[in-house]
Amino acid sequence: MENKYYPWGGEFTTSKDSSCVAVVLLNIEYTPPSTVAIYGPLKTENIGIEKIVANTISNPHIRYLIVTGEEIRGHRSGNSLLALSKNGIDKNHRIINAPGAIPYIENIDEKAIKRFQEQIQVIDMIGEQDTSKLDKKIDECISKSPPSFGEPYIAIRITSEVTTLDDKRALHSKIVIDYMGKIKKRGE
Amino acid sequence: MFSFTQEQKIFEISKIQIGGQPGNLPTVLFSGFFFKGEPDYTKAAEYVKKMYQLSEKTANPVIPDFFIKKEENLQKIIEFIIKEIPKDKPFSVDIIEPDLKIKTLELLSKKNLLKRTVYNSIHIGTTNEERQTLKKYTPEMAIVVAFNPKDKSPDGKIEVLENGANLLDVGLIELTKQVGIKKILIDTAAMAPGDNSGAAISAIPVIKEEYGLPTGCAIHNVVEKSKWLDNFEGAKRVVDAASNINIPLFGGDFAIYGPVENSETVFPIIAWQDILVSEYAQNYFGITPDINHPRRKLLK
Repeated sequence: MENKYYPWGGEFTTSKDSSCVAVVLLNIEYTPPSTVAIYGPLKTENIGIEKIVANTISNPHIRYLIVTGEEIRGHRSGNSLLALSKNGIDKNHRIINAPGAIPYIENIDEKAIKRFQEQIQVIDMIGEQDTSKLDKKIDECISKSPPSFGEPYIAIRITSEVTTLDDKRALHSKIVIDYMGKIKKRGE
Repeated sequence: MFSFTQEQKIFEISKIQIGGQPGNLPTVLFSGFFFKGEPDYTKAAEYVKKMYQLSEKTANPVIPDFFIKKEENLQKIIEFIIKEIPKDKPFSVDIIEPDLKIKTLELLSKKNLLKRTVYNSIHIGTTNEERQTLKKYTPEMAIVVAFNPKDKSPDGKIEVLENGANLLDVGLIELTKQVGIKKILIDTAAMAPGDNSGAAISAIPVIKEEYGLPTGCAIHNVVEKSKWLDNFEGAKRVVDAASNINIPLFGGDFAIYGPVENSETVFPIIAWQDILVSEYAQNYFGITPDINHPRRKLLK
């Protein structure tokens, strides 16, 4: 999905672009009101979090990120997102003190994370199932009407170098395949 | 269809053999139990029987893969394994939480089940405590997931297997050997569509030629995440089962095919593909199918 406010795409629903609230849904059946900017599920503690960071800092109106629903077992994605907001990442790109199994942020740079920490206040409502309380919290955030953070920040997706296929490489640069399908290491 | 120059290792667990040159052994199928909702043990027992019947019918070995979501389920799932899985057959345990992995290893050891266990899985999130526990309670076989969050290409997958991609002090293959597991299966880590999903398949021949280790993946996960398929009525289940043929076609050895409920479609699809691969591999590379191969069983 291409969207000028949310260029990274993903499984989300957008409502009011100028709203200051975004909602992350863990294990919960809940549809946030149309007064929020964007909402969607979070599953993994690495790629899922990267998408949330990229798709919130790209809309400077968003200042609050409400994380709600029952935590994802094993992945602990909700708490890993909270840890990212609080602690950032270490030199190995691991979210500091994240409880998830593989909480590595590899596809966005530290600048984007810093911007996320500065722009977005993450609100911990993990475990909350009472949707009226969630509605109330959203209203409360909106009523504060915080200013826009300024210019949108478009996080660059860090990608590995693409191998070109101009030298008859079949399948991969490490192997060659003859016309019958016999594979051997390239250069041997 | 391919054949490899590198010697291809074959590992055995409770009489099931995995690996080798394409066309030799049948594709081993890992069937998923208890992935969604609360475990229904009565229904699962029926599926166990059905799964073994299908395996008998096509000659594709099957290893039930038990997802242990929470500690409350651990004891019951192990009891289920003891009761329902024949003592001469292997099984695998799939656990995400490091603490629960440790508790599961302890219980498997206590119940004397480690010789039949495929440990699913070792990956970059494997903790030091888990490593120590694996040394103490060592399962017979392990699935090593070549997930590299910063590079999802075949190169990135090899990097994480080879040197840990700066995320670990050691490569995943070495780590697995260090804890004492000699029988290693490589899972090429299927990613969601839009995230280099095809690399899980193209990495199979690359990794097999590099290491000679049995290789496969859970390619059906890509189908599960292809939301656009929901707009085609009835298509998702068919595509889910069919996605698995990519694995033997690219020289792979095992398919983690998702919910056991899909067995009725997956077994014949894979048997059909194994026959196709075997015919070519024998004609061009002289690889004869094993005595227990769908080609021998189904083509009379």
